[in-house]
Amino acid sequence: MASCIYIESAVRDHPRARQLLARHRQLPVVEIERYGEVFNRRAQSFRLQKRNPALIIAHKTGHRVLAAPEGYGLGGEHNYYFSHMLNCIYDCRYCFLQGMYQSAHQVVFVNYEDFGDEIARIATAHGDQPVWFYSGYDCDSLASEPLTRFTEHFVPLIENLDNAWLELRTKSTQVRALLKRPPLERVVTAFSFSDATSHRRLEHGVPPIARRIDAMRRLLEAGWPVGLRFDPVVYHRDYRAAFVELLEQVFAQIDAARLHSVSLGSFRLTRDHFRNTARLYPDEPLFAQPLVLDKGIVGYAPEREREMIEFCETELLRHIPAASYHPCEWHG
Amino acid sequence: MLIWVAALHCEAKPVIDYYRLRKLHGQAFDVYRGDGMALVVSGIGKLASATACAWIAALHQDRAALAWLNLGIAGAAGHGIGDAFLLNQVIDDDSGERYYPVPVSRAHFPGSACRTLGRPGYEYRGDCLFDMEASGFMHSALCFSSAELVQSIKLVSDNRHRQDRPSRQRVSDLLHERIDDIVRQGEALAELARGQADLEPSAESWQRLLSLAHFSQTQQSRLRVLWRYLHNRDIETEPLFQTLKSAADAAAIIETLEEIGHRDSEAL
Repeated sequence: MASCIYIESAVRDHPRARQLLARHRQLPVVEIERYGEVFNRRAQSFRLQKRNPALIIAHKTGHRVLAAPEGYGLGGEHNYYFSHMLNCIYDCRYCFLQGMYQSAHQVVFVNYEDFGDEIARIATAHGDQPVWFYSGYDCDSLASEPLTRFTEHFVPLIENLDNAWLELRTKSTQVRALLKRPPLERVVTAFSFSDATSHRRLEHGVPPIARRIDAMRRLLEAGWPVGLRFDPVVYHRDYRAAFVELLEQVFAQIDAARLHSVSLGSFRLTRDHFRNTARLYPDEPLFAQPLVLDKGIVGYAPEREREMIEFCETELLRHIPAASYHPCEWHG
Repeated sequence: MLIWVAALHCEAKPVIDYYRLRKLHGQAFDVYRGDGMALVVSGIGKLASATACAWIAALHQDRAALAWLNLGIAGAAGHGIGDAFLLNQVIDDDSGERYYPVPVSRAHFPGSACRTLGRPGYEYRGDCLFDMEASGFMHSALCFSSAELVQSIKLVSDNRHRQDRPSRQRVSDLLHERIDDIVRQGEALAELARGQADLEPSAESWQRLLSLAHFSQTQQSRLRVLWRYLHNRDIETEPLFQTLKSAADAAAIIETLEEIGHRDSEAL
């Protein structure tokens, strides 16, 4: 439940804004000119706001669909990302959002049609080459689905663009809207998992691992393409046993042969995001680990990272075909 | 620490009485102190409010986190006399500058916007409140604390139907009637500030650490990160200081603290 709603005056009568307001009748509503005057203001504490964030209803202007950063994606040549929301209902301590934004409020951009036009324009510009669109960069793609009805708009859009692929990245169990539709080969729901220790200590508010595996199984059984993202793998004393246990838990329910893709990456943050986040959480063991700065990225020292990735890869490849494995490559 | 800011003594009195705050004499502003809190009477107007905030913040610059609560009266077109609000938007009528106090803890009052006027006015417009201090208070308090720790409660003292300003006694009485909710709002805010302050090691332990060796500015930055972490991990400081005493120099102290931190973080 949000603490209050900020709404841009210009979208007050937008149908999606009205829907959002109707779902939160009991909350105070504050009218604003632009979302940035609340969201980007200095002198805010992400940590304090995360206890009870507000909902900001806004219109996204400017570039809505952007080229994905180097190394992001599943090996496709054309990768883009877009964010119909900023921030996430979960509170994962390793997440870069807490180091990137001043505010923990959740922003929902209601002008989906403008995002859609830009996606269509980009897909068309690439002719018949496949183009990937990633929606879970600045938010969890599905966690707020009952509120945003994101898939209701964007899945049919992708369906009508023959060369467009969509990845929904999530830690949620909100698959009901997808299950109501016939499956679409070019919409991949990718579920992120960390081992049980990391989940318990670092993924605050995220549904239990077992429930997420179940959501994944239901999607697979309905014929939807599903991906697995073991990212970030976080170092701790028992990470090996915990990772093996996680794999056993996942693959006891999931048929590995039917997975669209699996990726793996160790914990890392850009230097600025790390600095901001560590300042917010001086009590967090994750940031007290031995970490190094390499090409602007803070992560594990090369020996530790290599050891972790090699171990996890070896264990992972006992369960999945090598063809579906995509390591996260960020070292350049 | 919680700092109450009121323009007039009659607005401050219910809080002074409730907490039995003691007056400090010989100060630039009227200041009252109590356990974990201070109250400053700023005088009327946004400039006075901003000045008082800056002044009292300077007095408490050694505090790790300051929470701020502005308490005062306001005019409103349609709201009833005695209605009280927690401000969720403050607009400076002269500059157009807007402030958005962030609601983190449970609100004990409904929210309202407030327009801060540069001079007294009786032109009641829309459904927002009108006061003379809130924007100055916000502007100044936000220089010293994050927005979640800065709030303002306004109680309606005059409206379209009753434009005569109430007596000082009446203002105190009106606020006194809502004192329980006002105190609850203040305590929720103070609790947030305590949570923030608890993350910081004491000034004494920091000074003691610095006295062990000569640390460059870069080393001090690193030392502060390590010390904050260990402080939050309930590591006993006395044995730690004994260990650090035998370290050869600043670099060795930092290395020792890093090793302890690394070991501690291994279990997540």
